[in-house]
This record gives sequence, structure tokens and C-alpha cells, in this order.
Amino acid sequence: MIRTEKLTRTFGSRIAVEGLTLEAQEGEILGLLGPNGAGKTTTVRMLACLLAPSSGEAWVGGHSVLREPQRVRRLVGILTESPGFYKRLTVERNLRFFAELYGVKEPGPAVQRTLERLGLWDRRKEPVATLSKGLRQRLAIARALVHDPKILFLDEPTAGLDPESARSVRDFIGELASDRRTILLCTHNLAEAEELCKRIAVLRTRLVALDTPAALKSRLFGTRVAVDLAQPRPDLLASLHLPFVGEVSLDGHTLTVAVDDPERDNPKLVRRLVELGAEIRYVQRLERTLEEVYLELMGGSDGAP
Amino acid sequence: MERLRALVRKEWEELFKIKMVIYGSVFLPLLMGGFAGFMVWTARDVPPEAQATLLNTALMYFLILPVMIPSTLAVYSIVGEKEQGTLEPLLATPLSDWELFLGKAVVAVVPALALTWALFGVFLAAVQVMLGQIPSTVLTLPWLLSMFLLAPLLSLFAVLVSMLVSSRTSDPRAAYQFSGLAVVPTLIPLIVYSARFTAVNLFFVVGEGGGLILLNAVLLYIAVRVFQREQVLTRWK
Repeated sequence: MIRTEKLTRTFGSRIAVEGLTLEAQEGEILGLLGPNGAGKTTTVRMLACLLAPSSGEAWVGGHSVLREPQRVRRLVGILTESPGFYKRLTVERNLRFFAELYGVKEPGPAVQRTLERLGLWDRRKEPVATLSKGLRQRLAIARALVHDPKILFLDEPTAGLDPESARSVRDFIGELASDRRTILLCTHNLAEAEELCKRIAVLRTRLVALDTPAALKSRLFGTRVAVDLAQPRPDLLASLHLPFVGEVSLDGHTLTVAVDDPERDNPKLVRRLVELGAEIRYVQRLERTLEEVYLELMGGSDGAP
Repeated sequence: MERLRALVRKEWEELFKIKMVIYGSVFLPLLMGGFAGFMVWTARDVPPEAQATLLNTALMYFLILPVMIPSTLAVYSIVGEKEQGTLEPLLATPLSDWELFLGKAVVAVVPALALTWALFGVFLAAVQVMLGQIPSTVLTLPWLLSMFLLAPLLSLFAVLVSMLVSSRTSDPRAAYQFSGLAVVPTLIPLIVYSARFTAVNLFFVVGEGGGLILLNAVLLYIAVRVFQREQVLTRWK
């Protein structure tokens, strides 16, 4: 549904996006993570045909952003970084205007359907100026959806929202993906990316990493288990020789062991520890957060800035 | 065409909700109409030649209106989008550059011409009432060409300049400032024209009209070329 091939954009001498190659399948939420200035918004703008690439190519819904920008614009819905509205016009009038621009055949029913879905139908007669930030964000999502696009670009959809509004927006994004829509989600919120995205692309002008959240964690840190012992046993550090065991450390009663695959290796590990006379209270899989992964990737990448 | 209509409808709905725009658009016609009415009042008891001169001056007021009104509306139409943060969502729609440009221009030109011509109708009625008849020097070919050829051309010129300025400046305040200055050259021929104290004549009207057609064609070409969504999006901060 979305494909980029060595997509590059420069502004004068500054490189905003360099050689970006990635692909998002139908029904997938692909997260774009990266610090400010990493090129996330520029990438979305290129894919939405708001900016032309300096070099490289991209296809959205099978259409080239270079040769068929009008077709691409009809296909996609976009939630921009700072979603603005005609504040003096009503909620309904704002949405109807965009429905007409997108060529929706019957704008009235489409507007009603979309506003109802976003829980804004009761507020339809109110000027946008009177809406809270959370409601405006919902209206912005409604605008991105009013023409029923199969591809959505969401740039920081929960930025600046209170936890409750952010939760409702996230739930709604999850529902959208179950409609087989392809979503490109730019976010700084790592928990949000982990919760919603099937795969995550980490950008820092260039593509630093692209994989599922679980694979990114595993690839960078491996998988570790914590074994809580009844008694501290420093001798185990030297005697725990198993082919699937990596680094081993002891902190008080807790033995931390790096293993290849906990589901497969844990029974063998527990058996070996018991053989060595260890009294095990419990065994727990240690999860790295996506934040740790992200910081590791950012620290290790040499892209600017 | 549907998209163009949608844009024009939305623009007018929005402009009608902005009191300052309404007051600004109504104040100028009232002021110019007042000046023109004063000219007619003064022309009641003067010889025909002096009367013609006074009425020519009144005509000048009607040619200033289609320049002043649309420039304010045209600049706001772009500045307003940027200020409200609606420019990016708007540019992301399938609306073409031509539709966007033309829509914004129509929004500014049509009310300006409607107000100008309505006021001209009131002026003619006032002339009929105050002078007992419409003098033969008023409803001549040069007068009619001035109202129905020069006025639209001047209006279009003002809009083109405003849009050009809007799409090239990086600050809304600068856009307002520059667009105000940009219409000054339009007024120069009018001032020269009125300062000659001659009756409105075909030579001047056709000459100025021809010049404006040429100028507008060049401006339209330049304006559409520089009015690119990418430029507008990245330059306006």
C-alpha cells in the first residue's frame, strides 16, 4: 500500500530525509519514530504529495507521488501535526467543506456518519472555536476519515492531549486498523507506538531500524530472565555452563541470565539450577522497554541531527 | 468545478462571519459613495463643462473601489488559512493549484465588483434626482467601458498582486503591508487621469484597459507559477 525507494528530501544544504526505503502492507500500522527533525513529518508530507522528493520515489496505493499526485491525494487521509480549522464555522460545516473537496458524492450522510463515529454529532452546530483541544483532535481525525480513505497518515495524533483524550484517540486508531486501513503513525510516544504499531521504523534522517517492537528489543538486548533464589549463590556465576546461556549476573538474591529463547530454554535452565542445588522462588522474564531500545538506537546512530 | 464552488462558498461564509472584514468592505464604498454624492451635489448649479469635470472625478472614486476592496480580501484569504493552521489540510486535498488560486481570486473580485456596480447604480439614481437628468457626458462609451471593463481589470490586478505577495512573503504582517503598497501603481494612472481635468475619453480608457490586460496576463502567469503548494507551505511560518 505504501512503498518508498531511496526517498530523499533536502532543503537547501540541509538533508531532511535521506535514502528512505520502506514498505507498509494493507491493514498495517507502521510507526515512524525519531527525535525532532528526524524527518518524520517531511516523510509524511512527501507521501501526501505536499512536498516533492528531491530524489527517490514513493508509491501510495500503487500510485506514484511524483507522477500521480492528484490520485494519491484522493486516496489518503491526513492528520497534520497542527490540525487547524475554520474556527468561526461550525463543526459540521468544516467537515462538509473537506468532504466536498475530496469529491464525496453525498457529503451530508458522510459527514453525519463520520461525526457520529467520532462522538461529535451532538456538537455539530457549534463553532469549532468552542471545542476543547481533545475534541478538535477528534474532529481532525474525522476530517482525515470523511472520504473513507484506505490509507491514513497520522502525525502526532495524541500530542498535547490529556491522558483520557489520548486513550480514546488511541483506541480509535486501533479500530481503524481493524477496518483494513493502512496507517502511517508518526509519534514521540513510545508506549503508543508499541501498543498500536505492528512494525516500527526508527528514523534519524535515515532509516535506523525497521522491525516489530518485539524483534527490535530482542535484536538489541537479547532476552533475559531473572531467577529469584532463596539464598545468594555467587558460585552459580562460574558453574552455569549451558549452550543457550549468555551473560549471567547476580544482584543479591536475583540471578539474571541472558537466554536465546525463554519459552524453549527456561525449563532446561531451571533444571540445571536445581541440579546445582539452587532453591528457586520464582522465575520472571525481563522485558526491555521500547524506550530503552529507542535510546540505544539513537545513541548508536550517526545520522544528523 | 465542484471543488471550486465548495471553496468559494466556504470562503464567503467565513468572510461574512468576520465583522472587521464586513465593516472594512462596507466602509470604503460608503466613503467613496459619499464623495461621489458630494460631487453631484456640487455640480447642481455649475456650467456643463465644470459639471462634466466634477462627474469625472466621481467616476474616479468608482475605479478606486475595485482595487481597494479585493486586495484586503485576497490577502486575508491566504493569511487566514495560515493563521488558522488550515493551509496544510487544504493543500493535502485534491484541490489543484489552479482551483485554489482561482477560487481565492473569485472570492475577492466578485464582491468588490458587485459593491462597485451597486454603488454606481445608486450614483446614477442620485444624479437623476439631484440634477433632474443624467448628463450626456456620463453614460458615454468611455464611462461604460470604465465601469464594466476597467473596473474588473483593476480588480483582477489588485487580486493578482495580493496573491503574488501572499505566496512569496514569509510573514502575514509583511503580506498585508506589501499588498497595500503593491496597489499604489494602479492608482497612479487614475490620479494622472483625473488631474488632467478633461472629460473621460475613449483613448485613455482603451489605453489603460489594454495596458492592464497585458499586465494582468503577465501577473497571472507569474502568480500561478509561484503559487505552488510546496512554496506556500514551507515559506509561511
